[in-house]
Amino acid sequence: MQIYINKLTFGYGIKTVIKNLSLTLNQGDYLVIKGKNGSGKSTFIKCLLGINDVKPGSIFLDETDITAFKKWPKFGYVSQTFDGFNYEFPITVSELLNVSSANNVSVQTRLKLLDQMKIFNIQNQNINSLSGGQLQRVFIVRAMLNNPEVLILDEPTASIDKQNKTFFYETIEALNKQGITIILITHSDSMEHLHYTHVLEMYADSTNNFSTRQHSTEGGDE
Amino acid sequence: MFLSFITDLFQQDFMLRALAAGFMLGILAPLLGSIVVVRRLSFIADTLGHFSLVGISVSLFLSSIGFSYFFEKPLYLGIIFSVIGGLLIEFFRRSYKNYKEISMVIVMSLGAALSAIFFSLASKTGSLYEYLFGSILTVTNYYIYLIFITLFIVSLLFILFGKKIVAVSFDETNAKFLGINVNIFQIIFMVMLSIVVSVLLEAAGVLLISSMMVIPVAAGMRIGWSYKSTVIISIIFSELSVLVGLWGAYSFTIPSGAAIVSVNIIILLIVALTKRIISARRIKNLSRKV
Repeated sequence: MQIYINKLTFGYGIKTVIKNLSLTLNQGDYLVIKGKNGSGKSTFIKCLLGINDVKPGSIFLDETDITAFKKWPKFGYVSQTFDGFNYEFPITVSELLNVSSANNVSVQTRLKLLDQMKIFNIQNQNINSLSGGQLQRVFIVRAMLNNPEVLILDEPTASIDKQNKTFFYETIEALNKQGITIILITHSDSMEHLHYTHVLEMYADSTNNFSTRQHSTEGGDE
Repeated sequence: MFLSFITDLFQQDFMLRALAAGFMLGILAPLLGSIVVVRRLSFIADTLGHFSLVGISVSLFLSSIGFSYFFEKPLYLGIIFSVIGGLLIEFFRRSYKNYKEISMVIVMSLGAALSAIFFSLASKTGSLYEYLFGSILTVTNYYIYLIFITLFIVSLLFILFGKKIVAVSFDETNAKFLGINVNIFQIIFMVMLSIVVSVLLEAAGVLLISSMMVIPVAAGMRIGWSYKSTVIISIIFSELSVLVGLWGAYSFTIPSGAAIVSVNIIILLIVALTKRIISARRIKNLSRKV
């Protein structure tokens, strides 16, 4: 999928959070969005997912204007704090993944993803008994189930320990090598070990609130 | 007393009807109740019940001015008004995005006010008490058909769209990525809920509908280990309270809704207490081992 963002501007009330942001991503790119709290990272993602209205400016997904775009299952999304997810009512990992799978997704696909994420053995556990890291991986499996072309991760390592972070980034890289576009929001992690292709830095200052760079895997920014 | 209840259960037509109605409602209420609880809409059934009562009161009013058809079948208008109430809630929910509970208060107040007006306009208001607290022992055949059709439709929807219903209920944000249109889902769910609530109205009464939907689920949640097991346990609890409640209503001539809900609460207390005792023992045993 090609993501084409042209002069995107967005604000809440009189406060402009994003100003004239332009960016193009092609299938298989790996974008890292950096910035402090309040710099507009999550706001940007909400625009990209059609949750926030884009006006002025435009976003085209596969050459379709975002307001007319319908193929959302092409996106996999893991939100920052799993906002809106109901943890307290009993549901097992495999039940959650089952209801989140499209009809053409086989059980094998699900088991393979669970295995890949190293959470095969917790599939019959209740969601509310899982640790932050396990939950994180369950949600990544859920986002991956329907074979998305783009995977968006909003501060995915916030609730996991250092060892799991390394494993997590390796997994994301492996998915990227399979051709999946990755959009990763990060707030504090060092980026040395990330093999991204694009970086978007966002600042709270609305006069100059972002900078984009393309990054070559051989080292150094372009 | 219990023996005469059992013999009457199978000899008296009205008891058989009550049993059939109770059995079907025992499935319907917690089945939908589980979704209501997951979506944190436990108060919605109350609101819809109040609006459904408008339909009932309008029926009674119409029959008092000569339209006798509505006197025998007040639930038809009850269902229609309940659906209108459901759609009104959706409308107000969108107007007050961050204060969604306001919508329930608006619709509930309007429902209560209109019901009071039409009940007072209708000359015959003797049955108001039954609609407030339920009267499963006096249900007619038409009511049984109505529940049967409702149960059939709801079961069909759950068989066809159960996966999607559960997925959206647990995580509305993610529904988009499963290709589900949340707005359309909300409206279909609201219509389905409105119909079930007004069907429950006759047996449970306006004031106790939400209890019949929510309390068995609250008890099931305490011991369920998965979504499926929680729903099954809730249905078992619900059926048990319908049966015992029916016996109570019959033997002590008390309102059926009140009897059923009281049993529901007793089950909830027993479950909560037993669970507490078991976990306290477990902790004690563990600390002994340490």
